[in-house]
Amino acid sequence: MSVLGTLVGVVIPYVAAFIFVVGVLYRIFTWSKCVVPFKIPTTCGQQKSLPWLNRTFMDRFDSPYTNWETAVRMLMEIFLFRSLWKNVRYELPAQTAVSTKWLWLFALTFHWSLLIVLIRHFRFFLQPVPDFVNLIQGLDGFIEVDIGWLWFQPHVVHIMVTGLTLFVALLYLTYRRLAFPRERTFSLPSDYIALILLLCVAVTGLLMRYVIPVDVAQVKELAQGLLSFHPPASPDLHWLFMLHLLFVSLLLAYFPFSKLMHSAGIFFSPTRNMPNNNRAVRHINPWNYPVKGVDWDEFYENFKGDMEELEQMGYVVKPEEV
Amino acid sequence: MQEFEEEEKLEIVQKFPGWKEILKPTTEMKKGFYSYAATLRDQEYLNLPFPREWSPLDEDWKLPPNWKEIIIEKMDELRKKYRSFQVFMDICVRCGACADKCHYYIGTGDPKNMPVVRGELLRSIYRRYFTKTGKIFGEWAGARELTEDVIKEWYLYYYQCSECRRCSVFCPYGIDTAEITMLARELLNSIGISQRFSLISAAACVRTGNHLGLSPGGVVNSIRYAVDDIKEITGVDVEVPVNKKGAEILFVTPSGDYFAQPHWFTFIGYIMVFHELGLDYTFSTYAAEGGNFGFFHSFEVAKKINQKIYKEAKRLGVKWILGGECGHMWRVKHQYMSTYADETYEDALKVLEEPVNPVTGTVFENASSTKMVHILEFLADVLKHKKLKIDKSRNDHLIVTHHDSCNIARGMGLYEEPRFVIKSVCNHYYDMPDHSIREKSYCCGSGAGLLADELMELRMRGGMPRAMAIKYVHEKYGVNHLTAACAIDRAAFPTLLKYWRLPVQMGGITELVANAMVMEGEIERDTDLRGNPLGEYLEVEI
Repeated sequence: MSVLGTLVGVVIPYVAAFIFVVGVLYRIFTWSKCVVPFKIPTTCGQQKSLPWLNRTFMDRFDSPYTNWETAVRMLMEIFLFRSLWKNVRYELPAQTAVSTKWLWLFALTFHWSLLIVLIRHFRFFLQPVPDFVNLIQGLDGFIEVDIGWLWFQPHVVHIMVTGLTLFVALLYLTYRRLAFPRERTFSLPSDYIALILLLCVAVTGLLMRYVIPVDVAQVKELAQGLLSFHPPASPDLHWLFMLHLLFVSLLLAYFPFSKLMHSAGIFFSPTRNMPNNNRAVRHINPWNYPVKGVDWDEFYENFKGDMEELEQMGYVVKPEEV
Repeated sequence: MQEFEEEEKLEIVQKFPGWKEILKPTTEMKKGFYSYAATLRDQEYLNLPFPREWSPLDEDWKLPPNWKEIIIEKMDELRKKYRSFQVFMDICVRCGACADKCHYYIGTGDPKNMPVVRGELLRSIYRRYFTKTGKIFGEWAGARELTEDVIKEWYLYYYQCSECRRCSVFCPYGIDTAEITMLARELLNSIGISQRFSLISAAACVRTGNHLGLSPGGVVNSIRYAVDDIKEITGVDVEVPVNKKGAEILFVTPSGDYFAQPHWFTFIGYIMVFHELGLDYTFSTYAAEGGNFGFFHSFEVAKKINQKIYKEAKRLGVKWILGGECGHMWRVKHQYMSTYADETYEDALKVLEEPVNPVTGTVFENASSTKMVHILEFLADVLKHKKLKIDKSRNDHLIVTHHDSCNIARGMGLYEEPRFVIKSVCNHYYDMPDHSIREKSYCCGSGAGLLADELMELRMRGGMPRAMAIKYVHEKYGVNHLTAACAIDRAAFPTLLKYWRLPVQMGGITELVANAMVMEGEIERDTDLRGNPLGEYLEVEI
């Protein structure tokens, strides 16, 4: 057990964390090195033009003019999934499109749940546990349930809502790729890998909370040891926790090579992070180079006859005399 | 116009192959779905790489021997030059929110027309040559080899995208398939693959100053017909300055307006309004084109065409530039024009000033840098200040709805100006259903170089969602007139409406303004701008 313990408990997490940090930074570095030649926001609302024109509150952010409006647009995209909220489904025989919010609902549920679950995990790494972590933990787990039926004896637990919503949302996101014909068509193996890894992490986590409790004190000891770079030589923890840790490590190591990088990439998306003030603030293309076209003199030479006639007309076109 | 058989039935076959199937290139060039290859003459005139005669129907596309290296190198160059490209290749999670937002997907059912898959056509190659996982795991990482068939597939599908950006509205990361399409076309161009339709116009524009290839005399003749028409309809003598040095405003409009139908009525509308306002403006024969078909092809051709307007503004010494009703023209003017321009812009700044409406004194602060104002912004300002005498009842025979053209909607944010202008000159206006207007507007199906006749079936299918939204308001409110501030729309819709058997006529917005406008010294009008008896709606033949 001890060699395996060292491997899964210490070596793999460190390697995975290293790949994660370096990989993500490398990808972000690559993106920031690419230049942005044009200002191409997708304008989803009325532009700022004439001051009296009807421009709704949301137009300001769907078609932002200033930098702070653009920042709000980004925040709404990141925290509320504004664009997914707009989703519609085209109904073919009826030839209309109806609003559909399922993807928005489950995607948002998944991401928010994941965020809160991650924050809750801070309690393993930080001593003393910060107040906000305790607060979130308390809010998340306000439902107390006796799951004695599972245990054949009274057993009261706090239901962590986000853990369950995370799991349910993941199930839906997997289900739609398998069951909907369109989604099945464009889903690649990598799309399933991400979902499977996340599901494995979630399932092992849920099992530890509700079915096979593990010694949390030991877990915390290991987490803090890893964080302070003084890990125990051969941690000997419950197999279920080790499995959980292994899946988390795999997920971290896989992260920079995968589409999961969208979490950082959205900040670089030029159709969302640029203001729609193109005609007021000129954008400079750093690699712009001159291209020779036909200039006036050449044009004049080519059409000399026409141009001379135009000169005789005094550059004015008048109606024919009747 | 192509005639359609009564019996003809459109079938939408939805196919849902697995991911492995999707990775295999589709190369079947089906009639109505593929574009003709660029002519040798245009390729040579524009100095494009590897000019040659070829056809998409040929087995051998006569690619240069090292085409593969060129593509890979170009991809490497583009991902460094365009952050959008690198980021959009990396972060798509294939959530599918975009899938049924593409009008071509809705109309064809072809899975490769889903924006996510259209992106994957390129992304699979990117993974194979630029990512570790793609190099190691190949197909299982969603990567595939770059073969000639992939090039054929790109040509087929990146010329089945009208760069309308509707998918980008719904994408949680704002991934813009228009951007991917533009760069894919740039890649294709690097090995000498271009589409005929957009290049004919682009080459003509470089050569003559407008997409239609009108000589300066041709432009002047068009204007002459316009002033004659105006005299006939209103009795007013209108003079139009052309290439006039020292004018305050340079007016630039898409060249379709010079004689196409129903563009023409908008064209004479501009001239009537400018005359009535007493504007000190000028047309130009050198910068006779507002649009930029080079934008549908490559950076360099777009730049070639773009430079004319600033050069002409400088030469004529105008203070600012006014632009007519056009879609992609305004995507370029709003988001690209001053960025494309290099020293031509700095040069033009010596004469250009912040645009001020001489009639109302309004300063167009939102155009303070580019110095170019949209005609609808200008008209909205004029109408708000009641500077034109309007008789709304002249448009009473029209029950109007407005189509938000993709580029001015999602590439500019011009939603309220057209509605304000229309409502100021018409009594009957109804919007189409919410899912089909404003930022969710459906494309006419013919944008970004897809107005070509050989793409007719694709265009009619792609235009279906828009046509059905029009059908809805036609049946519910009796809508009989469709407006759009876009020259491509004005060319595409008559065919589309006829195909879907909708008795609705179509036109620009300035046409309605000019029709309702009471000019000083005008005779009693007995026809509208179309020459129809005033106040009478002539049923459209379907």
